[in-house]
Amino acid sequence: MALDRSRLPVVDSDPPFAFPTVHHLTLLNGLDVRIVEHRKMPVVSAVLLLPGGSATDPAGHPGLMSLTAALLDEGCGERSSLALYQELGRLGAQLDVEVGMDASTVRMTTLGRRAEAGLALLAQLASEPRFEADAVDRVRALRLDRLAQLRDVPAAVADRAFARLLYGDGPYGHVPSGTRPGIRDLARDDIVAAHAGAYRPAGATLVVVGDGTDAALERMVTAAFGGWTGGASTGKEGPAAAARGSAEANGSEAARLVVVDRPGAAQSELRLGHVGVARSTPDYFPLLVMNMALGGQFTSRINLNLRETHGYTYGARSSFEFRRQPGPFSVATSVHTRVTCDAIREVLGELHGVRDGRPLAVEEIARAKAALTRGYPRGFETAEQIGRGLAQLALHGLPDDHFSRFGPRVAAVEAADVARVAEAYLDPARLAAVIVGDLTAMADGLPALGLGALAPMTLP
Amino acid sequence: MHVPFTKHTLANGLDVIVHEDHGCPIVAVNVWYHVGSKNERPGRTGFAHLFEHLMFEGSQHHDQGYFQPLQQAGAALNGSTSTDRTNYWEVVPTSALELALWMESDRMGYLLPALTREKFETQREVVLNEWRQNYENRPYGMVGMATMAALYPADHPYHWPTIGSADDVRAAEFDEIRSFFETFYRPGNASLTVAGDVEAARALELVERYFEEVPGAPAPPVVEAEAPALAEEHRLLLEDRVELPRLYLAWHSPRLYGAGDAELDLVATTLSNGKASRLYRTLVHERRLATDVTVMQSSRELSGVFQIVATAAPGHPLAELDAVISDELERIGRDGPSDDELERSVAQVEAYFVYRLQTVGGFGGKSDQLNGYNVVTGDPGHFEADLSRYRAASRAALGEAVRRHLVQSPRVAVSVVPSGGGSLALPGSAPAQVS
Repeated sequence: MALDRSRLPVVDSDPPFAFPTVHHLTLLNGLDVRIVEHRKMPVVSAVLLLPGGSATDPAGHPGLMSLTAALLDEGCGERSSLALYQELGRLGAQLDVEVGMDASTVRMTTLGRRAEAGLALLAQLASEPRFEADAVDRVRALRLDRLAQLRDVPAAVADRAFARLLYGDGPYGHVPSGTRPGIRDLARDDIVAAHAGAYRPAGATLVVVGDGTDAALERMVTAAFGGWTGGASTGKEGPAAAARGSAEANGSEAARLVVVDRPGAAQSELRLGHVGVARSTPDYFPLLVMNMALGGQFTSRINLNLRETHGYTYGARSSFEFRRQPGPFSVATSVHTRVTCDAIREVLGELHGVRDGRPLAVEEIARAKAALTRGYPRGFETAEQIGRGLAQLALHGLPDDHFSRFGPRVAAVEAADVARVAEAYLDPARLAAVIVGDLTAMADGLPALGLGALAPMTLP
Repeated sequence: MHVPFTKHTLANGLDVIVHEDHGCPIVAVNVWYHVGSKNERPGRTGFAHLFEHLMFEGSQHHDQGYFQPLQQAGAALNGSTSTDRTNYWEVVPTSALELALWMESDRMGYLLPALTREKFETQREVVLNEWRQNYENRPYGMVGMATMAALYPADHPYHWPTIGSADDVRAAEFDEIRSFFETFYRPGNASLTVAGDVEAARALELVERYFEEVPGAPAPPVVEAEAPALAEEHRLLLEDRVELPRLYLAWHSPRLYGAGDAELDLVATTLSNGKASRLYRTLVHERRLATDVTVMQSSRELSGVFQIVATAAPGHPLAELDAVISDELERIGRDGPSDDELERSVAQVEAYFVYRLQTVGGFGGKSDQLNGYNVVTGDPGHFEADLSRYRAASRAALGEAVRRHLVQSPRVAVSVVPSGGGSLALPGSAPAQVS
């Protein structure tokens, strides 16, 4: 007997999501520690969050924070880099260093029975890097080579040009890995000074999540990090002060269209957008909902238009980057060269549409809200995921119950809120565009897009 | 290393595996179809992958696109195609398990009535975009194709890339869909795993409700291929829009779970995993000839490929890197790794086996692993047996594997150089043909 497939099964509502309890303490040296017991697997994941990101790179030296972080694993305390990596291998540990615009993070994941040794190693990496002259020289050379290689990666070129177009020489005007001129003449002293300024216990946050009781994890943390000394905090004021006021102002108002020519390119890599809004905005939740429906998921308007209706691309997404200072709103995609201008026109059409001609329907808003909230627990399945989440809370000064309240707050967003933020935070009239592609092949179509004249840009 | 599960085979041949994990209120649904690009024929390549795209375009009883109802219920979902298999997965809140099974079963049982020429043609364009974005427009993007084409003879199922040749994709016929689906997308050629926050009995009952009615069919023909061998070394040259030359070395190696497979995995770890590894140490750290080096044993069902990839530091021809690599292979072939190196490599593998049990769904999650073991070995619980291969490996066995498969065997060496940089390539390299 055939099953009745005339309708889809009804999906019941989900139980409320509750983020695990966070155990807080502050070490005597000022280190903010957050511990979560997560006993599901014999794994412990630790994240050390330092508030200095690439936005604090000094003028003329884009890439300093990132290069500093890249040197942490080149030897620390009594360990050479060889000895350090032999130890990581014996522990089966995973070390991951990442520098973003607003913060640097050092993450260490180990089996539970190796957690004590792993935390001790993490503390030593952060507090006692050797920064030997030979290592500085070698890692800087590797970075210069890497940056040269990235000139051939269209997506990387597009990200660089877009940051520069929006923010000029401001703190968000370069990507964390920096520029060749910015790091070419950096010396050991610069690295040592950058480390001394940003890697201090006061102002930093250590998150430890995993297979141990709060008390046991606290004991390990205190043993590993208690001896870390460092001057008074320059801490969280650093990036905020450096970025304040300058994030928005530095991009040239007139320049809206940049083409990085790649003769013969098969695809055009596109970044379209403008300066958006800071994480602290009171409109965070309506913006999440609006963006999800506009271009935040497969079934969003922009992806369905460009990929499914027109077959222009393998995929297209829009996003607001919620940073400590206003980050970009952008639409990112890669399209077939011959449809470059058509694709931009379609994106512009969607941005205009969501603001006036075709406001988001109740059903689209409901779908966006469901996509944001209904799968929510899967973002907190592993120790590492919970750790990353907690580090985000620390970075943005959000309360422990933020994730538990996420669902209800998204649910409370109303259609009027969505319409209001689309109007307030999307501005197609000042849309800036970066195209990495074959200029000759698209040149004829560019004027009709209304983005003004081509602005010259030299990427450092 | 124990992952508890139940396994049943429905009357139509579908393997059903259920694993309970109540740590998070989510359930993973994962389906492997045992078909990949190895099931294609020369001149008709790229079809398995193109077909994967069509699986997201709606089926008879829900002909409106696959993503929408699932994403609305909070699902993450995706699919992928390899040489050997095609997989599809959803991770859903527990309450949406039934919806995910409804959707997967509808496209397993009722895909064809909803397929139109228009959907086919749109997805063919999407795939051609994917081809340009991920291969043609990406530095070093074409070298994988060139390597496999040189390593395997033209009629070997691993000769062509999974995405196919762009010409073949353009030439794909709408009418081929029906026979492809009917041959390969049958329950007897699939393995379904449900893993997560659900009672095993309840999961099985739901699976039976939705999948039992899908008719069974004869098993598709088994793909066979002669064990490939190279008569001599092939040196190829590719000019690309790149800043730095890069050397790609590839050898035929043991197939998945074959003798020597785990040993070569450990060799790869010893050679390039982390800054204490041998080739990183010599090439990047001490002699500064290279900016990076990666070594991997990629084992597949029919045969494996052992690869070493190294990017030259500015000013160094690839022959300099090759000489250091050859010396190191000679040494590890003769002496094996040290006790300490082997111990560290095994410790890393053991930890990795634990780390990858942290998620129930997605690519590489527990549900994907249970299906992978089931499809290849017939035993979803192959975890411990898999890990024991690494624990049992000896220094001598690693040395033996290196001698036999690498030192004493011909290889394919592809030099990728900037335009006009032919002098940086290995001497005697001939231009590679890629399409």
